[in-house]
Amino acid sequence: MASTSISKAERSYIQAGILANPPSRADGRSLYDFRNIALETGVAPLANGSARLSIGRNPHDGSGGTEVLAAAKLEVENIGDGGEGVEGGRISCTVSCSPAAYPHLSSNALDDLQYDMTTILNETLTHRVLHPPNLGILRGKKAWVLHLDAVVLYDEGNVYDAVFMAARAALWDTKVPRTRSVEYQAKRKGGATKGNAEKEGGSGDMDVDEEVVSGFDTRQIQTATDFELPDYWDEGEPLGGRENWPVCVTLNIVQPSHFLDATQTEEAATPLRVLLMLAFDTPYPTSVLGMRTLGNGELTAAQIAELLKAGEKYAREIWTSLNAKLKEETMNRLKERSKF
Amino acid sequence: MISFTSFPSRFAESSYDSTRHHPNVKDDLMDLDEYEDFAAQGSLNKLTCPGESLTSSQAYMRGHGTYVDNEEVIASVAGTIERVNKLVSVRAIRSRYNPEVGDLVVGRITEVQPRRWKVDANSRQDAVLMLSSVNLPGGVQRRKLESDELQMRGFFEEGDLLVAEVQAFFSDGAMSLHTRSLKYGKLRNGQLVTVPPILVRRLKSHFLTLPCGVDLILGLNGYIWVSKHVKTNEQEGEEGFDAEAVYSNVNDDIDDSTRNAISRVTHIIRVLTSHFVPLTDVLLLEAYEWTVEHESTAKDLLQQEFGDALVASIAPSQ
Repeated sequence: MASTSISKAERSYIQAGILANPPSRADGRSLYDFRNIALETGVAPLANGSARLSIGRNPHDGSGGTEVLAAAKLEVENIGDGGEGVEGGRISCTVSCSPAAYPHLSSNALDDLQYDMTTILNETLTHRVLHPPNLGILRGKKAWVLHLDAVVLYDEGNVYDAVFMAARAALWDTKVPRTRSVEYQAKRKGGATKGNAEKEGGSGDMDVDEEVVSGFDTRQIQTATDFELPDYWDEGEPLGGRENWPVCVTLNIVQPSHFLDATQTEEAATPLRVLLMLAFDTPYPTSVLGMRTLGNGELTAAQIAELLKAGEKYAREIWTSLNAKLKEETMNRLKERSKF
Repeated sequence: MISFTSFPSRFAESSYDSTRHHPNVKDDLMDLDEYEDFAAQGSLNKLTCPGESLTSSQAYMRGHGTYVDNEEVIASVAGTIERVNKLVSVRAIRSRYNPEVGDLVVGRITEVQPRRWKVDANSRQDAVLMLSSVNLPGGVQRRKLESDELQMRGFFEEGDLLVAEVQAFFSDGAMSLHTRSLKYGKLRNGQLVTVPPILVRRLKSHFLTLPCGVDLILGLNGYIWVSKHVKTNEQEGEEGFDAEAVYSNVNDDIDDSTRNAISRVTHIIRVLTSHFVPLTDVLLLEAYEWTVEHESTAKDLLQQEFGDALVASIAPSQ
């Protein structure tokens, strides 16, 4: 988003710096350096998984930087009977931008921007290949819907990378409550038995209620199924396939060079940006889950191939260090819990 | 290169260690009489909290940044207390720029309107730059013509940065700027840094030249322009007025060392700002020398420890 307007002289100063040899940027980073990234998971107590991420936060006074909050919330949906649910559950992603992040944008322009970001995040994360296996509750009856909401609190550039990293962290943090399906079955005599039809996680015990048989039972429906939440000390099991969520790397292109993690002024000086959504070491060593160009520059097919190759390298770095950070966060939270 | 850190722990801040009380709680901590006589005490240097009671409204008058409730003058912003005779006001730490006539500001054009430009100068309202208060081509003193009105974007267009002086105020409080001096005009060959306006002090001159070949323009509105040094005899418009050069959008050639120096100065300003050190010419010079002495690259300044060391050595009082 070339949101801030900058003068022609500033633009050419930034571009000349990137193309210079050795290249120089306003803050002394090299072309492929990221700003410092701060990450925290489990920030929203009422969500099933959440993360807060900030790129380029000033460590001294905590000001500045791109800040994104992402949270995943699970809801139960009916399948069929007017319910929106789908077999096996579904995911819906929304990105909203705080007006404080874009004070110069009108509310219409802000809506457009949110819509663009929502589309990119939603199309990438709701793809079939990424679908987590454990979002189903009752076959043909009920399923979880996972709402992933990301809020851009402040934009100092490189917001797409931030949104995807925050989304990955929030989904990594997501716990799906354990459910146990139960079936009520009308006995041929008229009584009802409650038993475990199938077990989904947790070791359910058979509890059979012998009810008083009523001779006046005229119910037509022979069986009823529902689910219950067994009490467990933890919030549930992690969302399946959580290693697969992609990371995004934005290549800012100033022909013939490119650079990463642009600040807002650098973005304004960049005619073309390429977003690559990649995941690694899921069955395949590298999988490209999405690709976008933003801006009005143009690229040849050969350049795209080159950029993909370069992007893969950067994305793998992001992937590795993000994974390490997420594991560390998990460890820290386990440690905190063991204090009690 | 990418690195992840954690957010600081929410309760780690030392200032919250001590028990804090609501001002209404008459406890040993809160002594309302403390402010009764401002002059006698050093409490003028203390920062206020919004909602903090300052003094009795019967003895003092409320000024900016305060309000009266229950016969007490209460601060409405975080800032320092100022007192003139019986008038008590609080000057906010973080606020928009309050313009005064004669101030030097750096601004950015936001809109081109008939016979005027709207300029963002970090103030509450956009400033106005009239076509009649800029230098027109073909002579410093001449009346504006219709042809000038038609080519206003040839002088300044949206996004352009300029340095100007506050000339006057309109009735609604918006400031009117002028660039009728050869020192003022469009900016190029450098980059902009934004700092809280309160950190830019009024100096003898706001045009600084550091010995590393970097020019600085400290706008009182908190916009600072860091650019390549232009020798005074090469400044545009010295003999005659060359509109082409003054309103040019093209940068000169900037060599690597100058670029590095610009980036380094930018960083020093950012570090000092994040430690809330007011910027002066002397301080910036000292800081630059310190970084050169420690043979740091501009990148080192990104490190927090390095920034802390810099501030500790050049501004020990902070």
